[in-house]
Amino acid sequence: MSTLLNSLRTELRRGTLTLAVLSQLRSPQYGYSLVLSLEKNGITIDQSTLYPLLRRLEKQDLVTSSWDTTESRPRKYYVLSKYGMDVFLQLKKEWEQLSQELYELFKGDDQNEFN
Amino acid sequence: MNLIDLYIQEVTRRLPEKSREDIARELRSTIEDMLPEDYTEQDVTAELKKLGNPAVLASGYLDRPMHLIGPQFFGIYVQLLKWILPLAVTITLITFFVDKMVTFSGDQAVLTVILEAVGEGIVRVLGTGMLVFFWLTAVFAILERVDIKEHMPLGTWFKDWTPDDLKKIPSFPKEKAIPNIEVYGRLFWTVIWVTFYFNASSIVGLYEKGQEGLVFVTPSLNQEVLDAYWPIVVITVCMEIAIAIYKWTVKQWTIKLAIVNTIFQFVSSLLFIKIITDPDLFTSSFSSFLSNLFTQVDKPVTWIVWGAIATFIICAAVDAFQGFKKASIRIVTGNVKKM
Repeated sequence: MSTLLNSLRTELRRGTLTLAVLSQLRSPQYGYSLVLSLEKNGITIDQSTLYPLLRRLEKQDLVTSSWDTTESRPRKYYVLSKYGMDVFLQLKKEWEQLSQELYELFKGDDQNEFN
Repeated sequence: MNLIDLYIQEVTRRLPEKSREDIARELRSTIEDMLPEDYTEQDVTAELKKLGNPAVLASGYLDRPMHLIGPQFFGIYVQLLKWILPLAVTITLITFFVDKMVTFSGDQAVLTVILEAVGEGIVRVLGTGMLVFFWLTAVFAILERVDIKEHMPLGTWFKDWTPDDLKKIPSFPKEKAIPNIEVYGRLFWTVIWVTFYFNASSIVGLYEKGQEGLVFVTPSLNQEVLDAYWPIVVITVCMEIAIAIYKWTVKQWTIKLAIVNTIFQFVSSLLFIKIITDPDLFTSSFSSFLSNLFTQVDKPVTWIVWGAIATFIICAAVDAFQGFKKASIRIVTGNVKKM
């Protein structure tokens, strides 16, 4: 039961994680700051999922990266590209519509449960 | 080396050369970010545990799949395997058999040769099977890795799936279908009986227990008589092969196929009767041997001939009848089931 639930949950979250990560990259972030800002908003993401995801997004030209070596500790910053911004805004719209639809759907269910 | 270095090394050694340095740098800075100012080994252990198994992390960085053949190609891979494997095995067996037949010198006991051939045949078949399996898998594993198209499951024959593919799915019931194995079996059987036919004098005969296993004493059939019929035998073989190929293309029993099959059964029965009733077919030594064996029976050879004819005709009739029976099976559609 719990393993099935877990795998379904992972499946459900997979797409939304990309969206969550993109949303945080409107301003430049390095890996760990991204983890913290996501966690602050209650979103937990495996670090072993996040770092490869960042590189993949860069490969897909959605984000750009640069090394900041001015501080004592060098950090790699990621930020949305122009293209990434366009894609993010469209995905966001898609998500809002989808969640609205699901919300309506569930509302109908709730009423049925009481009947 | 400390734990962090070891961890990074474990991740990067699994990655392509060119991305190693950058990922190593990134990982190091991230891990250090996670740690407090004056960290202990316990802190490091705790944070590395969060990052998880280095092999899993490395596979996340890799674009190439962990599986050998993914969902995109798996269907067609299995399809080709099912198609090529039996075909390759049949061709191997046929060529092997023909080769044995041609190189047979006749100075060894035939039964020994046959037993050896069976063993060798099994080895050959296994060899061919493994070879086909290996190369097909290798080709698809490479395809999986070099394919740059969007990952969507393919339909048949490497084309993207379309609803038209549904029409190609055979819609006849299983009882009506002709399995490929039946076709391969038929071809193989043809090779076997032709081999026996043209080598009858050295295979079919009387054997006696000798000092070194079985010893061939005397042939039962006159090879010259058999050889004299070669043109009609060749025609029959051609018919048999033609029907096998025809079966293979239509894949199901039809009335037309049943008729062709019946004609073939009829013609081969005639041929069989013609040859077996030839007065010179059985060698005189074989006839006298039988007469000595069954002293109460008058002319045992005649009994054998009639028995063989009856068996052959019954088999042929059953085969012809089965064809019609299978061809007349009606397809039950969904509408009919619903009533």
